[in-house]
Amino acid sequence: MAIGILYSRVRVEEKLLFDDLERRGVPFGRIDDREVVFELGSNPFPYDVVLERCINHSRAVYALKLLEDAGITTVNTYRVAETCGNKILTSSALSRVGVPQPRTLVAFTPESALEAIEQIGYPAVLKPAVGSWGRLLSLVSDRYAAEAILEHKEILGSYHHSIFYIQEYVPKPGRDIRSFVVGDECICAIYRYSEHWITNTARGARAENCPVTDEIAEISLAAARAVGGGVVAVDILESERGPLVNEVNYTMEFRNSIDTTGVNIPGKIVDYALSLRPVSLTAAEHGG
Amino acid sequence: MKLAILLSQVRLEEKLIFAAVERAGIELERVFDKELILDLDKPKFPSADLVLDRGLVHSRAEYTLRFLRDIGIPTINSYEATTICDNKFLTTIVLRKAGIPTLKTMIAYTPRSALEAIEQIGYPAVLKPPVGSWGRLLAKINDREAAEAVLEHKEILGSYHHSIFYIQEYIPKKGGDIRAFVVGDRVVGASLRSSEHWITNVARGASTAPCTVTPEMEEIALQSAAAVNGEILGVDLVETEDGLKVIEINTGAEFKGLVDATGVDVPGAIVEHVKRRCAQLVA
Repeated sequence: MAIGILYSRVRVEEKLLFDDLERRGVPFGRIDDREVVFELGSNPFPYDVVLERCINHSRAVYALKLLEDAGITTVNTYRVAETCGNKILTSSALSRVGVPQPRTLVAFTPESALEAIEQIGYPAVLKPAVGSWGRLLSLVSDRYAAEAILEHKEILGSYHHSIFYIQEYVPKPGRDIRSFVVGDECICAIYRYSEHWITNTARGARAENCPVTDEIAEISLAAARAVGGGVVAVDILESERGPLVNEVNYTMEFRNSIDTTGVNIPGKIVDYALSLRPVSLTAAEHGG
Repeated sequence: MKLAILLSQVRLEEKLIFAAVERAGIELERVFDKELILDLDKPKFPSADLVLDRGLVHSRAEYTLRFLRDIGIPTINSYEATTICDNKFLTTIVLRKAGIPTLKTMIAYTPRSALEAIEQIGYPAVLKPPVGSWGRLLAKINDREAAEAVLEHKEILGSYHHSIFYIQEYIPKKGGDIRAFVVGDRVVGASLRSSEHWITNVARGASTAPCTVTPEMEEIALQSAAAVNGEILGVDLVETEDGLKVIEINTGAEFKGLVDATGVDVPGAIVEHVKRRCAQLVA
């Protein structure tokens, strides 16, 4: 069984995955998304499973769709990437199966978005439907801020920035939780501490080990299942009404969580990829 | 004599000016910026003794006025006045230098330094695009969260120009702000623009009421016009505890609200001024 790793740039995470595969002697190859060309109707990749590690969401979803249609098993699946890469699709998937999350409204014009914000009440949170690393998250304290931010999105942003994702602000105890789910297991979790309301390690939040309680495992697995399973990181807010899922990430960074939790996250990811039954074999069995 | 008017589109203001020009028996050429080709090897323009700029697109107007200046055709307003007034930062600098009261203003070039400037000015602060009209993208910033969000949106979503941050103290407007309309060496009228909203632009639904032109108002408006070397200008003023201060100056200003509110014949005054300028040119 051969593994392909599709990546944009070799970050610490990709290096760790390569190292793990090398240690095990698993044949693997690298697919650089800056160089790859897909020809529809053919599969030039000698891999049974492709592990997707793109930084760019559009590249990831198109590549996963093309690989899947070429008969290659992927981690994550196209469906998971498509859902998790978009907060509206994620929230909709979560609400469909009743996973607790902050109250969320979606609107399509600045006027209706302003009305939605006032319905939620101040402070409200505005997030781009597609985006990472805590970019363009806005904590909206009053109507002045709401009007200014909505106008900036509408006038300066592309069309996509006029799809408004509005959430209640959940006061955090200076931290939130990120749990890691691989297959059917919640393998570990960290607390992310920050003075800032945005608790993103890419924005300077500090990580600490968070014991995986039954409650955390349960909501994490429910969230992972809701978006289609695989390898995901679940962001959880501790609220007065219990844990709430804030978002689900499908190509997460984990460099700051290995030493913090003592869990070999890349090893678990590779275990999972190797455990998958390649589509080609399944098809051969069925066909043969 | 022949007058050319530089246009982007014909609004009510331009129609009123056309009518006044015709009444005065002046030959008129309408020149649309979208059709213009400025050939740097040919010092030609639709033949005119004088060009009145009523263009709506700042960059088109500025380049055209510069071209005209360099081939020796006089314009109203001048290239210099237009480039200053089109840019809030240049306007504030020029007014300051002339000793005209303006609002406390800072400029910064990065979101980080802009955040520091906002905190120095204190909340609420106002963020404005240095170049822009009709009250677009004005932001009243009441707290640090709003500052961070708006600055990040400008930096990430906007072009480079949106990362030149123009930061101003917020002045609560007592009943609105004042638009004093300068034509030549006098203020022909003034209106009070008021709104439930903190942005008092007529384009954003503010209402206009007549406003008595006080000597103080006339003085500061004419000083402002002289400072930027302009002839036909809308000078926006705000009444503060320390007296009147200039917010900004508009070339090619809209005046329908002023005409409706006061009955002052603004287009007539503009054409009178054009005639005077032509007479000077002939002399």
